[in-house]
Amino acid sequence: MGSSAQLRRLKPLYQLVVNNILAIVAVPLAAAAVLKAAELGPGEILARLRALRPAHMFLAAFLPAAAAALYHRLRPRAVYLVDYACFRTNPNCRVPFATFLEHSRVWPGFDERSVRFMTRLLERSGLGEETCLPYAQHYIPPSRDLESSRAEAELVIFSAIDDLLAKTKMSPQDIDILVVNCSLFAPTPSFTDMIMHRYKLRKDVRNVHLAGMGCSAGLISVELARNLLQVAPWGAHALVVSTETITPNYYMGQERAMLLPNCLFRMGGAAALLSTNGANARFRLARVVRTLRGAADSAYHCVYQEEDDRGNVGINLSKDLMNIAGDALKANITAMGPLVLPASEQLLFALSFIVRKVLNNRIRPYIPDFRTAFEHFCIHAGGRAVIDELQRSLTLSDEQVEASRMTLHRFGNTSSSSLWYELAYIEAKGRMRRGDRVWMIGFGSGFKCNSAAWECIRPAVNADGPWANCIHRYPVHIPDVLKH
Amino acid sequence: MVFEQEEEPAPGAVHGHRLSTVVPSSVTGEVDYALADADLAFKLHYLRGAYYYPAGDVARGITTKVLKDPMFPWLDDYFPVAGRVRRAEEAEAEGRARRPYIKCNDCGVRIVEAKCNRDMDDWLRDGAPGRLTQLCYDKVLGPELFFSPLLYVQITNFKCGGLALGFSWAHLIGDVASAATCFNKWAQILSGKKPEVTVLTPENKPLQGQSQAGAAAPRCVKQVGPIEDLWIVPAGRDMACYSFHVTEATLKKLQQQGRHAAAAGTFELVSALLWQTVARIRGDVQAVTVVKHDAAARSGRALANEMKVGYVEASGSSPAKTDVAELAALLAKGVVDETAAVAAFPGDVLVYGGAHLTLVDMERVDVYGLEIKGQRPVHVEYGMDGVGEEGAVLVQPNADGRGRVVTAVFPKDEVQSLRAALGSALQVA
Repeated sequence: MGSSAQLRRLKPLYQLVVNNILAIVAVPLAAAAVLKAAELGPGEILARLRALRPAHMFLAAFLPAAAAALYHRLRPRAVYLVDYACFRTNPNCRVPFATFLEHSRVWPGFDERSVRFMTRLLERSGLGEETCLPYAQHYIPPSRDLESSRAEAELVIFSAIDDLLAKTKMSPQDIDILVVNCSLFAPTPSFTDMIMHRYKLRKDVRNVHLAGMGCSAGLISVELARNLLQVAPWGAHALVVSTETITPNYYMGQERAMLLPNCLFRMGGAAALLSTNGANARFRLARVVRTLRGAADSAYHCVYQEEDDRGNVGINLSKDLMNIAGDALKANITAMGPLVLPASEQLLFALSFIVRKVLNNRIRPYIPDFRTAFEHFCIHAGGRAVIDELQRSLTLSDEQVEASRMTLHRFGNTSSSSLWYELAYIEAKGRMRRGDRVWMIGFGSGFKCNSAAWECIRPAVNADGPWANCIHRYPVHIPDVLKH
Repeated sequence: MVFEQEEEPAPGAVHGHRLSTVVPSSVTGEVDYALADADLAFKLHYLRGAYYYPAGDVARGITTKVLKDPMFPWLDDYFPVAGRVRRAEEAEAEGRARRPYIKCNDCGVRIVEAKCNRDMDDWLRDGAPGRLTQLCYDKVLGPELFFSPLLYVQITNFKCGGLALGFSWAHLIGDVASAATCFNKWAQILSGKKPEVTVLTPENKPLQGQSQAGAAAPRCVKQVGPIEDLWIVPAGRDMACYSFHVTEATLKKLQQQGRHAAAAGTFELVSALLWQTVARIRGDVQAVTVVKHDAAARSGRALANEMKVGYVEASGSSPAKTDVAELAALLAKGVVDETAAVAAFPGDVLVYGGAHLTLVDMERVDVYGLEIKGQRPVHVEYGMDGVGEEGAVLVQPNADGRGRVVTAVFPKDEVQSLRAALGSALQVA
């Protein structure tokens, strides 16, 4: 006991030393060099310099300069987030808990068991009374036609983009790259063409629609935009739109594993503007790490769209979703860790790894403290279980997962755009400071786990955004089982 | 509830029903709305009101979304209407059913969209009994109280472009005056006006044990039940609502009959005429129940059952042979008020059509105030569901205010004889 307490007191000192090792080593060396120079005296130094051959002197100057220039050319360009905007939900689309339950009960397509299952699920889901479903899903039964689906997509995407253009004071003609991700609805012409048509974008815009990439597609789009920005002219702008269209995907069958998405998925979307020009940017994109686990059978079939016995199409969520998510997360942070963790944590992790391998496998592995690498965490609000699992694995405090829990409560699972709503929560609460680092973790079908690390340059000036009229009510206490 | 019409609808019938729900725009929270004893006395009755708007520019511009959007803020004010009936955890007294209340859980109001292949003018001219049921979604509370909306709003589009709004309102949440004011407020929000503040205080408090078990029901109502979770009169004869006009000329003629007539009001005259007619058809009707809307006696609460309920007995002479004028005078002066007794009675009762033929005074209810984008309805008729076999008569103002609209809720097999008998009575020039 006493030794571990002592160790804990020594830890900050240890971190200071290891994280600044270069400085700690360089300072004595520099001091030694200065002392030696002082010993020799200026005259002696000049004499030695004149003895050097000009060719050597030229090389001594040229080679380092050339190396530095080459290094700079080969480094990827820094990519910045100029700003982002989330779709603001309309109270006209609100679905209280009681209404959702009544609709499932009243429509004869769902049997007793299914309704009881959905009730139990909703009680424990962590969703609040203000989540929104699209207009077509307020009907009994919900309509899933193409026209309503397009209407929902247009409503969400256009309002998010309008918001973003107003915030950044950009004109649509300034957009050079357009990436849209919407997994479960991809009509022809694509959403990118829909946006082109509505905003009259330029003829030479590089547009890509990513379909079928699941709930983690938001960060996939960001990475794609980043890559396209490397080859576009410097200062190009990339518009990234993440959304999920719920209207066509309501499951009308009775398989319990496929009823989950009905209960959790809600309307939402976000638009973000990325650029290589950091002039007015608010965040800098530090890293994107993507982990794909689809090679394994269980991971591949974990979130699977299929038809049930009666031909109803739905998304089947397997029972070991949590385990697979946990494994994917471990793989992702193993890749992410060396890129973002300070040297002190990496050294401890390496030491613990060696010790376990060499000495005793029963010693608990050292879990790197990611709070040394990030100030804020945005965990995909896939469901209460996902957030609980991640809080446990990463040993995060309640305040650090608050953004995820509150987003799940207020907006439900908005799929790929939930990370942006969580970022908006943190900013609306005024917790973002210049220099703060944010870690976004997304999960999705595949099974994929994608992370992005951002660094804040300029926090938001006010709470304007999707949380504007309700942030004062948050955080709320979310009961384990909702009384109704 | 119809989801997909595979067959052709019957010609002229209302078809293509699509259901959806509208909820309050903000979260109400954990609020319970207590039902007063007077409210519970009316729990077996349902108002059915149809408002007709003519074809034209205004009706053309009205989509479902235009009608739905103002409902969200409207239900913020009227959040009990969006709630559902629950029973209290424990019974008040031994042997009594657990007391119902309204859980304001934002479950919402049901909206029904339907179509009709006829022109609205033809529809109105026909005067078919039972047309009200087609325009107002025919549902009651139960068998699952948890999932039974208190209000249905049906939007029916006619072939000519005319529009009918049908409201199915559970009487327990408020009387016809409360209902009409509630709907008018929605129309005000639709027109962009800011309506008056909705007052839902003071909170309803149940009367403290004022009647003993085993006491007989008041004379003007009939005891039924005990009613479990399906709140409708046990099946007897099929009822139908039949609406007809009483013209200004007829009213004048009625007023000129006899010396008593001038003293009696229009409601008394019209209902006396109906009383006499029904007495002639049935052999006799010695007493009637009278339900009147008394503006002076109202507390100002937005949702309340505050109509005065009483009965009138025709002592001595048979109403079939009495003058309309004399009956009218009797109705004006001879009402025995039993409002408090009805509220205090612990059992389940039928007020309308229970013990006697029931006459309902809706003269002062402002139904024509429901203007959609400045357009007043051309016709409004209010009927009722859950009426007992004795029948009910609702006397309402008509569009220009000088004549009257009367809706008679009678057993289907009596409606024809009533129509015939009235035909001659109203034919007076």
